[in-house]
Amino acid sequence: MPLLDIKNLTLEIETANGWVKALDKINLSMEANEVRALVGESGSGKSLVVKSIVGAINEGWQLTADRMNWRGQDLLGLNQSKRRNVVKDEIAVIFQNPVSSLDPTASLGEQLEETIPDFLIGRGWFWQRRQRRKQLVTRQLQKVGIKNHDLCLKSFPHQIPDDICQKFMIAMALVSEPKLLIADDPTRGMETTTKGQILKLLARLNQTKGLSILFVSHDLLAISSMAQTMTVLYCGQTVEAGRLKKLRKRPLHPYTKALLDSAPSFSKDLLPKSDLSALPGTIPTLQHLPTGCRLGPRCPRAQKECVKIPSMRRIHEHHYSCHFPLHRPIR
Amino acid sequence: MTYYLLRRLNLLIFTLLVLCLASFYLAFLFPGDELTNLSGVRFSTESERLQSFEYYQFDQGAFLQFIRYLELLWQGEWGISFASNEPLLQEISTFLPASIELSAYALILSLLIGIPLGFIAGLNHNKLTDYTIFSVSLLGYSVPVFWLALLFIIVFALQLGWFPISGRLSLLYDIPHQTGFIILDILRSDLADKGEAIKDAMLHMLLPTLSISIVTSTIILRITRRSVIEVMSQEYIKAAYTRGLNHSQVIFRHGIRNAILPIMPQLALQFTTLLTNAMIVETIFSWPGIGNWLIQAIYQGDYPAIRAGMLAVAGLVVIFTVSIDIMHKLIDPKRLNRQRVKI
Repeated sequence: MPLLDIKNLTLEIETANGWVKALDKINLSMEANEVRALVGESGSGKSLVVKSIVGAINEGWQLTADRMNWRGQDLLGLNQSKRRNVVKDEIAVIFQNPVSSLDPTASLGEQLEETIPDFLIGRGWFWQRRQRRKQLVTRQLQKVGIKNHDLCLKSFPHQIPDDICQKFMIAMALVSEPKLLIADDPTRGMETTTKGQILKLLARLNQTKGLSILFVSHDLLAISSMAQTMTVLYCGQTVEAGRLKKLRKRPLHPYTKALLDSAPSFSKDLLPKSDLSALPGTIPTLQHLPTGCRLGPRCPRAQKECVKIPSMRRIHEHHYSCHFPLHRPIR
Repeated sequence: MTYYLLRRLNLLIFTLLVLCLASFYLAFLFPGDELTNLSGVRFSTESERLQSFEYYQFDQGAFLQFIRYLELLWQGEWGISFASNEPLLQEISTFLPASIELSAYALILSLLIGIPLGFIAGLNHNKLTDYTIFSVSLLGYSVPVFWLALLFIIVFALQLGWFPISGRLSLLYDIPHQTGFIILDILRSDLADKGEAIKDAMLHMLLPTLSISIVTSTIILRITRRSVIEVMSQEYIKAAYTRGLNHSQVIFRHGIRNAILPIMPQLALQFTTLLTNAMIVETIFSWPGIGNWLIQAIYQGDYPAIRAGMLAVAGLVVIFTVSIDIMHKLIDPKRLNRQRVKI
């Protein structure tokens, strides 16, 4: 049984021009002990997927799906608060912008302590519980590599540097010992050595504690070092999903190919001073979404049929949605 | 922080200086003799006038005159009133506490009504509760204070007879003037039945306080509601929910503090409106406060009193605003916010 199983997740947002599908039929499933990468360029709806899963979307947005299960339990029938109740100790989230997801008027220690679930503290007098809480908090900060933890716990979010704040968010997410960690760009703004530490920590937790990780990022290099599977999003549509190695070796969707080509570290035979490949144009805004396959206007292989939404096709575990995939020649 | 304090104090001192200058200039603007307007003494002989002329250093330039005026203000010689021939500072210290008392109770009452209702409305944004509270607040907002005060007198004092019509205390009680705050004075007096006296003072206080605080509490309600709506849509509130906190935990640990902090200076600004309204209401209820006293002074053409009263009231407002600013800075954890370089 998959841990998280989402089929045809659609999120509609009301804009001045009427309702817009910010997410259009997203499919995502997570097995236990799996590290899945969710990639896509900025504005492709990665963060919206994260927010939809944990129920942190704005009121008034329409969320529909054919299926949205957490360990076999249907989440769709529940309202936001009940859904949060079901997943609160088992799914942890690292949000994209660490400073804005921390309360500016509460000290970091206060915020970390309130996140600790009761079962980790156990029973005892209040001073024993308080001591236990302090221990847990300190150990957690050491784990993510914050050395000056006493100072950090006393500080307010605006007083610490952004990368420490990011590490703190990771500590906060891991404190409840979740089954699934959803990390929305967890290594953003970090220098390479710190990034390495964090990725190592996540990989170790995945191997020793069986933590599943949904790794949302556009840092392909970081992802390829730890993820086993990958889902590629473009403009709110699932483009391609499958084993990471297969996807890297033989992408079927033109967008995946373009994405992989755009990362220089992935194409080793790139000559010095040669042009980097990139798709023409930019990702469309929510107000000007093309019909059908949203890649259409930018796609090098686009044909007449592309104005219809391609259905999800499958080769073994490799899913893709394209009318003219790369392994088939164009007529 | 020291720098901030210095800047605020600097602002305070300069504003007070400008106020002093304005009040000094008023003496020249008012009809009649400048020296009379300044000192409040109507001179009968030329030698008296000459004495005053030297006392106020009118034989020297305008700047030195002003310096002398500041010196006299500092020494407490604000001149005397035309109407009562009493020293003005003494008069003001009798009447101003009554106004401060009335405004303070009205402010506390408005905060007690406005903030909780604002929170209820903000937390139920776009629901029936919100609409109801908001519409009722619009009604309270648009009612003129003097009309409301008269209505209160007609209904509750004249028709129903629940409350006294005017004044601060029944004439049965003779309370010596000590601090000027009636409740304190009663407690410090050697009256036999203090409880009865306090009850009587409260009954006198209720209608004026209520008529002032209805307008202010609707303003506070609106400010609070807006702030609550904004805070509750912040990213960190959603993040707190996803960390497994329930509704009341989120509101009490993260919502309230974040919503109250930014509106504190705005609430302080309402004190000015409140004091103005208090002055109007004082006249209607014959409350022996500074507003009533000032309006009497205007009717009687008591120019020194107008000058001194304006200085006292404006000074009070300035000092209050600056101290709220400083207090806000002291309790706001973001006060140590130094600009960092962003990469």
